[in-house]
Amino acid sequence: MQEFNYYRPVTITELKENLSQPGTRILAGGTDIVPKMRQGKFFASILVDTSGVKAMRFIEDQGSEIVLGALTTHQEAADSALLKNINPALVTAAESIGCQQTRCRGTLGGNIANASPAADTIPPLLIFDATLLLQSLGGDRRIPLEKFILGPGETDLQEGEFIHSISFKPLIGSWGSAFIKVGKRSGMAVSVVNTAVAVELNDKGKISDVRIALGSVAPTVIRCRKVEQSLMGKEPEPSLMKEIHAACQEEISPITDIRSTEEYRDHAAAVIIQRGLESAVEQAVGRGR
Amino acid sequence: MKEITVVFLLNGKKTSITSLPNRTLLDVLRTDLGCTGAKDACGGEGECGACTVILNGKPVNSCMIFIGQVEDHQITTIEGLMEKGEYHRLQKAFVDTGAVQCGFCTPGAILTAKALLDENPHPTDLEIREGLSGNLCRCTGYNKMIDAIHLAEQRGLDD
Repeated sequence: MQEFNYYRPVTITELKENLSQPGTRILAGGTDIVPKMRQGKFFASILVDTSGVKAMRFIEDQGSEIVLGALTTHQEAADSALLKNINPALVTAAESIGCQQTRCRGTLGGNIANASPAADTIPPLLIFDATLLLQSLGGDRRIPLEKFILGPGETDLQEGEFIHSISFKPLIGSWGSAFIKVGKRSGMAVSVVNTAVAVELNDKGKISDVRIALGSVAPTVIRCRKVEQSLMGKEPEPSLMKEIHAACQEEISPITDIRSTEEYRDHAAAVIIQRGLESAVEQAVGRGR
Repeated sequence: MKEITVVFLLNGKKTSITSLPNRTLLDVLRTDLGCTGAKDACGGEGECGACTVILNGKPVNSCMIFIGQVEDHQITTIEGLMEKGEYHRLQKAFVDTGAVQCGFCTPGAILTAKALLDENPHPTDLEIREGLSGNLCRCTGYNKMIDAIHLAEQRGLDD
């Protein structure tokens, strides 16, 4: 294992100070970074372990916004009654990650900072237009999650900065949201393609708003705005599949890798959007009653 | 690289260790603390669950945790399950149902099962299967483990 000096701040002030030294890297749950450091795929001369900062581990309803501390674990998100009600897609996504051992350590902030195109918690946050609160000794700033992630493993996080929390506005009215993932098996699988869909129906049962995010089909998780536009004002029905597939193809750029092929991803993306839409519509209808 | 001192509760006992920071909890448990029940089977990838320990009530892979991260935490290893010279109900049930074959995954599987039963004393088959999904076993085919967990459940879990 490579050598590094290790800091374990317990307050946000200490964390900011520790990170103000040059050459620091951040550790949260460690489920990605510890194996990567062992394999020589992640380097740090100073490792600042955020996992002891209890003030960044919370799930809060702040009225107009739901705020999730960056150190919230996937298991805590999966078990949250508040999130089950407000963002069921995020709960399903968190439940689908790895196994219990990794869910109990891996964090939402870590999943975002890793910026994997296959990250499971990013699509359900993107469809809620989530924003991040970034902090550093120099001050705070807010950035939409969509703008924060720049490429595979690449983010806008600046030296000395860390993700403090993630916030999003709850959707009100006849909304539903769902997360669907295709993997090689149901446990311990990295997504071959995943999607989160949120849909709002008007009183005539037509789609009055829809948001779709897709993972593992582009360098980052993407919002599929062309698919969203193609669905607006329509009645949700299986015949929309063709339109979804056509619009989807304009937005995605899947590749063949160890987990799957370009062709399969191209096909599966449209199929899971359709399934996600069906599931979200079912919820929306339930809420509209 | 500066050494760090970490204090935590190991099987109910206050433990202090001074170590280089680039070592995992698994390494320290096995090398420094004599807790060799936790195993390294997948080479520290977090794939196999053989290194599972219970950290603050939750099952975790000790190969993916740097030693500094357990400061102030409570850790239970398989060595901590025995009480008054008696094996834990889950340990007995694993033996009685034949859920132990080569034994390499057994400590991790039993600790995952303990964390599961502590939270959910009457799990369904599906909940057990999901709970054990991070513990790979090449011998038992898992069915015997599921039988073992139900047997331990039936024998009462008042501890």
